[in-house]
Amino acid sequence: MRPADIFSLSFDALIDRKVRTVLTVLMVVLGSSLVVVLNGLSAGQAEFLASQFSALAANVIYVGSGQHSYHGSSSPASIIINNAVVQKIRTLPNIETVIPEYSGSVQLDSQGETQHVSVTAMDPTQLTVMLPNLQYVNGSTVEPNDRSSALVGDTIANPPGATSPFVVLGQTIKLTDSYTSTSGKSATEVKNYIVSGIMQPSGNTRIDSSIIISLDAGNQLLHKSTKYDQLVVAASSPDDVDAVQQELVEEYGPTLGISTPQSIMAVTQKATSGNAAFTLMVGIIALVVGAVGIVTTLYNSVTERIREIGTMKAIGAQNTDILQLFIVEAALIGIIGASLGLIIGMGAGYILSIFTTTNVQGSGEVHIPPVYIPTDLLKVWALSVTLSLAAGIYPAWKASRLSPMVALRRE
Amino acid sequence: MIMRILNRDKSGTAEDSTTMLSQLPKTDDDTGSNSIALAVKGLSKIYDSIAGKVVALDNINFIVKKGEFLSIVGPSGSGKSTLLNMIGALDRPTSGHVFINGIDIFSLNDSQLATMRNNHIGFVFQSFNLINRTTVLKNVKLPSTIAGAPVSESNKRAMRILEALGIGDKASQKPFNLSGGQQQRVAIARSLVNNPTIVLADEPTGNLDTKTGDDVFEMLKTLSHKFKRTIVMVTHNPELAESTDRSILIKDGRVERDVVN
Repeated sequence: MRPADIFSLSFDALIDRKVRTVLTVLMVVLGSSLVVVLNGLSAGQAEFLASQFSALAANVIYVGSGQHSYHGSSSPASIIINNAVVQKIRTLPNIETVIPEYSGSVQLDSQGETQHVSVTAMDPTQLTVMLPNLQYVNGSTVEPNDRSSALVGDTIANPPGATSPFVVLGQTIKLTDSYTSTSGKSATEVKNYIVSGIMQPSGNTRIDSSIIISLDAGNQLLHKSTKYDQLVVAASSPDDVDAVQQELVEEYGPTLGISTPQSIMAVTQKATSGNAAFTLMVGIIALVVGAVGIVTTLYNSVTERIREIGTMKAIGAQNTDILQLFIVEAALIGIIGASLGLIIGMGAGYILSIFTTTNVQGSGEVHIPPVYIPTDLLKVWALSVTLSLAAGIYPAWKASRLSPMVALRRE
Repeated sequence: MIMRILNRDKSGTAEDSTTMLSQLPKTDDDTGSNSIALAVKGLSKIYDSIAGKVVALDNINFIVKKGEFLSIVGPSGSGKSTLLNMIGALDRPTSGHVFINGIDIFSLNDSQLATMRNNHIGFVFQSFNLINRTTVLKNVKLPSTIAGAPVSESNKRAMRILEALGIGDKASQKPFNLSGGQQQRVAIARSLVNNPTIVLADEPTGNLDTKTGDDVFEMLKTLSHKFKRTIVMVTHNPELAESTDRSILIKDGRVERDVVN
């Protein structure tokens, strides 16, 4: 038989059993679209994380207490990070600068409303060491010795979904810190600050969700007694990061928690890769379920069409003709299902990403669009079609091996 | 009209298929003669069953000349359908030979047998065995489609036969929309499309009322007498059998009687 005739007869057979064909195609569509959606969302998440980390300076090392280590090991007792430690680190080779920070959670009163926000106290002029591309929506930075001014992240100033700003440039905001005094009693510290700048989102979630004040102002508000929460250590160049990290480990051992954007990204990517592999497996299981559907459909089809197969053999069809007829039916189900699955999966990925857009405190609306890599899509399509073909082989083989006489006798 | 159309068909597939099968083994006796369409020699079929061996056919011998209309009659279980299956190359015998157009068909492998059925044998079944999901035209041209004939040639040939059998206007309809008689005509048209050496009809009027059955039988007679088609028909109906050129009565797997009508 000519290929066009085989195709035509197979297509007619599928059309004849519309409902069953549609349901079987649907199983393949579900499987392949699920793989596409999960793949796309995983790739989108990976790209989003990479873009977030790329906004951070590559020569920066974050040094904190051991508990903040990103290396996964539990750290022993951490040392107190004070000016002595800062001075000591400044003397190490390949160090450009060391920026000490205090951090805490405070109550912000503005426009007659209250919010709980993070506050980071540091030399505001050094923000660009961490965030080289830092831009201000309004205003400018705060001088290091300015104890009455503050910088506010745009997402705090203009909360997502709010019709009016929560904080505006030039207004006075009130920050209230609740702390435990040396006598063990609960106390509060209240300070007012003039907003001198509103920062654009930088990709550094911690900064974006913070109010930045000077180091001295922070020491007063948060009662830190010059015990820093974190140091930002800037190496002379990105190439020196490993050397500096090594020097810090040699000097302080595991008492310091040391992390770099690269190490955080590596750990995060490892986690997201594991997640992606898991979700991909779920998708492939769905595809296999679809393939079982094809086996069922074609097997039933062979059983129902035994007399037809017998007639075709009686009038001269070869075993290979019958085999090809059923294989082409499986291939058509696979090709239609996989193609629709790709289109529907891509669309569903975009829709899902819109519906799963979330408001992260301080970072505003986070939308992670799916990323579809053409070679990945091609692999999913090929896998779906191959599974469909594999599922069609047994019923097709069974049909082709039927004796014409036995088939003609079957009611 | 019918003569002109069917005569025109004579120049079609038969010559092509003869050329295609020219390398196949031939008999060394007179079964290769041009006047003999079918020769059955020492044909036996024994089935193994739980009850023991069942002899379905026992040393059957006969020949059918080209253009002859032969009927095979006999009671149920006599072996006439088994014989038709053997002649139609649907089943292999325990022993013996069947020659069609001089070719010992059971010396062929399964693939060659399929080609043999496609080119040299036309089947007409009692229950028509049409594919209901597709059109009459596609049903009729199916044997030529299987043979790999070009679409335009298959269509032309199928339409000519449908018109000759008076159902050209039904070409685009689905078989289930036709009457039983019309469906059997479609089946006859399908059996003729590759211009076979022999047409095998298994109770072709068995599912039809008397009037329609008579019409279909007359059509087969016309094909045989006017267009020299070789037809072997299995029937229960003694009146129809007597109207054929010759009748073979099968009983208990043997030829009981071979009568020229």
